[in-house]
Amino acid sequence: MSGVRAVRISIESACEKQVQEVGLDGTETYLQPLSMSQNLARLAQRIDFSQGSGSEEDEAAGPDGDAQDWAGAGAEQDDEEGLVKFQPSLWPWDSVRNNLRSALTEMCVLYDVLSIVRDKKFMTLDPVSQDALPPKQSPQTLQLISKKKSLAGAAQILLKGAERLTKSVTENQENKLQRDFNSELLRLRQHWKLRKVGDKILGDLSYRSAGSLFPHHGTFEVIKNTDIDLDKKIPEDYCPLDVQIPSDLEGSAYIKVSIQKQAPDIGDLGTVNLFKRPLPKSKPGSPHWQTKLEAAQNVLLCKEIFAQLSREAVQIKSQIPHIVVKNQIISQPFPSLQLSISLCHSSNDKKSQKCATEKPGPEDHLYVLEHNLHLLIREFHKQTLSSIVMPHPASAPFGHKRMRLSGPQAFDKNEINSIQSTEGLLEKIIKQAKHIFLRSRTAATIDSLASRIEDPQIQAHWSNINDVYESSVKVLITSQGYEQICKSIQLQLNIGVEQVRVVHRDGRVITLSHQEQELQDFLLSQMSQHQVHAVQQLAKVMGWQVLSFSNHVGLGPIESIGNASAITVASPSGDYAISVRNGPESGSKIMVQFPRNQCKDLPKSDVLQDSKWSHLRGPFKEVQWNKMEGRNFVYKMELLMSALSPCLL
Amino acid sequence: MYVMHNSEYPLSCFALFENGPCLIADTNFDVLMVKLKGFFQSAKASKIETRGTRYQYCDFLVKVGTVTMGPSARGISVEVEYGPCVVASDCWSLLLEFLQSFLGSHTPGPPTVFGNRHDAVYGPADTMIQYMELFNKIRKQQQVPVAGIR
Repeated sequence: MSGVRAVRISIESACEKQVQEVGLDGTETYLQPLSMSQNLARLAQRIDFSQGSGSEEDEAAGPDGDAQDWAGAGAEQDDEEGLVKFQPSLWPWDSVRNNLRSALTEMCVLYDVLSIVRDKKFMTLDPVSQDALPPKQSPQTLQLISKKKSLAGAAQILLKGAERLTKSVTENQENKLQRDFNSELLRLRQHWKLRKVGDKILGDLSYRSAGSLFPHHGTFEVIKNTDIDLDKKIPEDYCPLDVQIPSDLEGSAYIKVSIQKQAPDIGDLGTVNLFKRPLPKSKPGSPHWQTKLEAAQNVLLCKEIFAQLSREAVQIKSQIPHIVVKNQIISQPFPSLQLSISLCHSSNDKKSQKCATEKPGPEDHLYVLEHNLHLLIREFHKQTLSSIVMPHPASAPFGHKRMRLSGPQAFDKNEINSIQSTEGLLEKIIKQAKHIFLRSRTAATIDSLASRIEDPQIQAHWSNINDVYESSVKVLITSQGYEQICKSIQLQLNIGVEQVRVVHRDGRVITLSHQEQELQDFLLSQMSQHQVHAVQQLAKVMGWQVLSFSNHVGLGPIESIGNASAITVASPSGDYAISVRNGPESGSKIMVQFPRNQCKDLPKSDVLQDSKWSHLRGPFKEVQWNKMEGRNFVYKMELLMSALSPCLL
Repeated sequence: MYVMHNSEYPLSCFALFENGPCLIADTNFDVLMVKLKGFFQSAKASKIETRGTRYQYCDFLVKVGTVTMGPSARGISVEVEYGPCVVASDCWSLLLEFLQSFLGSHTPGPPTVFGNRHDAVYGPADTMIQYMELFNKIRKQQQVPVAGIR
């Protein structure tokens, strides 16, 4: 060290004043330096008065220059508590000098080590052998580690939050039994309309806001359930609020629509057995007041439907008057058929539950019509709220808005009828019931015929898309194995409310009444016509000539159902002819005409001199059709025809 | 002012002046007149009505009725209406022919409502004016019942 030249160190003092801020144009605002008293206050703040003189680990965090040494030194040297002595510094640059000196020492040591290492005699530098890491990985591991740490920190926070939430949820569960009347009331208010009248809370369960004009008030009362004993265990389904529904809406109700075949005794009217259906299951999460209110609303709707139906039953004039007895409306849509609509309402008393319940038969209760009744009454509700009716002047009654003009514009009866819908609920439902009944009876007729008669076959293709008042079915009469040739009988049946309209393939439209016998007779006559048509088509295919064809022959015995049809066909060579007569009742009669030379019992005469006349066809012989081979009529006919056409050899 | 009702227009009420305007209103008009009873007097309290059967023959509507004033019958009224046509002058000849087929010599001449405006559209007010004229005519004739035809 002695031979080293002294290093010049230049020292300049830091700027006296600290920069507080730099303005936008570059001017600097300086902090005012601390005055003496401020400086003293700052130093005093750094003194830790709670530390005694005996504590060794007293180094304050981070050396900061002047004051730190004094405070630390003062605390160490002091024996008395709370007294702090200032050790005055010798000169202000002391610490600077010490720092520089230690820096110099360090640099000299480093210089010495490097010079020794450079000779490589006493000390060498060896790299630490380690696996060659690709340079890219080390930043990645660093990243990985840092990411892990940060994720762990985030996870900690989330876990803490989750803990808190689970704690609150469990608390809630515990408190559920003791939940609040107000919170339950809030839940009730989400489903039903409530209003406060005096000190009572009333609600509305009628359909008045949805357009109903039924005069029932439909108000229920909400009461606080205070019969709870806090000492005993709170029951599972405890609810702090209870609803009180009007007494005539208690229990549950439904409308039963049924069709019976026999006319009832007069004494039996009004004795419909009330109530078989079990209560509909409520949704599992819904509170008990919800089920109660929904049941009451259903009862109200059923009452409204029945009131509307009975009012119409009494007012509307029809050919056969409707009977309204107690809770049942009976009408006769067809003779010997009775339609009964009844309101079945049972309250929840123990007495009524003891009554024997009978199972309703499958034919008995037409659920479709019950559903349709609900739909129709809702339609009616919507009509009172539709834009045709609302908004209306305060002085005008409820009704179609064109009706208000009917006075000043002098509408006559046709125009008035065209505005007002004349059909009421009862009429609509009776029409629907008639259609359902007619449709099922038509289907039964066709099915019974199809199962009874095998030749020809009858096929029914029912259309999927139906109306409430109209359905359609396509009936095909075919012979098995010959469907492509013999397809001339195809009927489209349109089943309406009271009649069945048949459209034939050849364009005829026939209207049948609701009697099933008419349809059956018609189908039987069509089947017999089919056989003859089949022979005609077969003749075309086989090359035989049709000599005559008639759908309705006037000869032979009279049929009671329809008419007999007949056809005569001649073979290609002209030798033979087949004559067929088919009637719905008389069955089929087939005769074959042979050429004269094949008949032995013909009287010889002198009139015919030429032998060529013997090739003409002569007498007829009947075929024993039941002994003929063949699965069905057309097959037998085909065999006969082929037997009579000799092959060319 | 006359207040008339016609069962052909069941929801309307007609208020007529002679040779004046005709108002077609809602049936609440009657109630209104009752409320205004203090401002005018109803003259004579004599109510004339014609009541009878209504026949529909394809496009023709024939109404034959007995005109009664109080308890006594005063005459017979026959109204014929041809539905499809709304312009009076176009179908008068057809109506005349139809009337002649069953009225013979009693067929009247063209109504006065047609007189002034031949091509105007006919409305229910014109029917009521004709009835009003008929009733006035019948009221003027005292005891002898005469068939008044419109």
